[in-house]
Amino acid sequence: MKNILFLLEYDFKNFMRYKWWIAMLISMNLADLFVMALVVTRMVSFDYFRFFSPGVTVTALFASAFMIGREINWEVRRSFAHYLLSLPIKRWELVAGRTLAGGLRGILYSFPLLLTTFALLGFPAPHEFLLIVGALFLLATGTAGLSIAIAASTRSFEKFVTARGVLYYMLFFCSTVFYPLDSILSVLPQPLALFAQLNPLSAGADLIRALLFAYPTSTLPSLFELLRNLLAFSAVFTFGGSFAYIKILEAK
Amino acid sequence: MTKLWLVVERDVRMFLRYRFILIMRAMWFAVQISLFGLVVSSMIKAEVHNIVGSYFNYYAAGVGIMMLYSTAMFIGYDIFEEAEHGIIEYLLSLPISRKELVLGRAIGGGIRSFVYIGPMLAIVLFMIGVIHPLNFLVAFASLFLFAFGVSGFSITLASAIKSHDKYDIFMGMFNAFVVRLSTAMYPKAFMPDLYANLAQLNPITFASDIFRWGAGLESVLTTSPFIAVIGLFVFFFTFTFLGVTIYERRIEGGGWE
Repeated sequence: MKNILFLLEYDFKNFMRYKWWIAMLISMNLADLFVMALVVTRMVSFDYFRFFSPGVTVTALFASAFMIGREINWEVRRSFAHYLLSLPIKRWELVAGRTLAGGLRGILYSFPLLLTTFALLGFPAPHEFLLIVGALFLLATGTAGLSIAIAASTRSFEKFVTARGVLYYMLFFCSTVFYPLDSILSVLPQPLALFAQLNPLSAGADLIRALLFAYPTSTLPSLFELLRNLLAFSAVFTFGGSFAYIKILEAK
Repeated sequence: MTKLWLVVERDVRMFLRYRFILIMRAMWFAVQISLFGLVVSSMIKAEVHNIVGSYFNYYAAGVGIMMLYSTAMFIGYDIFEEAEHGIIEYLLSLPISRKELVLGRAIGGGIRSFVYIGPMLAIVLFMIGVIHPLNFLVAFASLFLFAFGVSGFSITLASAIKSHDKYDIFMGMFNAFVVRLSTAMYPKAFMPDLYANLAQLNPITFASDIFRWGAGLESVLTTSPFIAVIGLFVFFFTFTFLGVTIYERRIEGGGWE
């Protein structure tokens, strides 16, 4: 347990080195919310600003949780991973620590945006708050696991960045982060609409919406279904990603 | 002139090395059009369609301009790459004047953006259709001014800041707001007054509006073509020649971070 705490400390210190990058990310999120969403609200027949606010929290969480992959890819390229493997830390502690750190960094980064969302939409009851944070934690650790698996599987930074780009575009834009499921179902082909329904970012954003305000859609999955989707995503990618990470490191 | 052309040619060639970034940008374009543009269009009130015609066409034209902007901006990153690898000193040792060097770079940055986004603009035009070819030619020429101006702006900033990290951060924050505070994504009629006033002075607004005018989307015009062309010319002139002056003064003496 102590070793996992060391790894958490190590990864949080690394995260703080990116403080300017984080400031840049925050400004992009704020521009999306306070410029783009405010204008779009005047162009659609529902309160887009309220709708989008949970969406921007989830995208911020995803982007910051995914950042651990950038560091892991650097470690693989510079053979720093050999040093990590030589430390008196068990393999499972190493993967658990890194994945947990990636997830917690995501939560930490998105927390101010989550509070902004609460300030705009109203504060949830304590049990709802815990449910939201728990759901976001599942999303963040799953994202970190996914990112770690991709990062460890290639020594090429370009390939990592390209894979990250494809994932970002598909997960962000084929989800209910930017638009309600009704609109997606009415326009996109069935496979893409299904992808949007199962997308973990959709589950995260819709869960916050469902708990904070009457979400304007007739096709919203139940809370149980949203949590189930998040749990499945988190389980597959936290454990799958961790397993892949350690196997790939040992093989290199 | 030959020396100027050599600088332009070098920058165009260098750009083709960034194949992963080019692939990513092309994917961003495809996603913006086929997912975001399509779904958001379906959400838009009839009132908006009455003003802008098809919002999808409106947005597709804006995405083309956003691509042109971000691609032309890229030259600033090249300058830092060169500083990091000591290539700036090599460039300074060449029998090319500083003016030719920076002018060549601004033009090269603009041309390579056009080479890259040409097929994407063609797709956008295929979707929208071109009604007035003459208007389109005027618009196309104005977009060259825009692309050269953006490259000049990027060079000016890179030379003035001289720090890769600070430049990267500043550009990230700046781009986040400058693109959203323009008519690239939505018409001025739906912006709050403050945003609309800022958008009115934004070169991306000039470029988006003149491109839509050239493509025959006159119904959505918020800036007169004359004002847009003048605005783009002033933008081009300011940043190309400001870029020349600052680049000339700052390029020597090291200090790149």
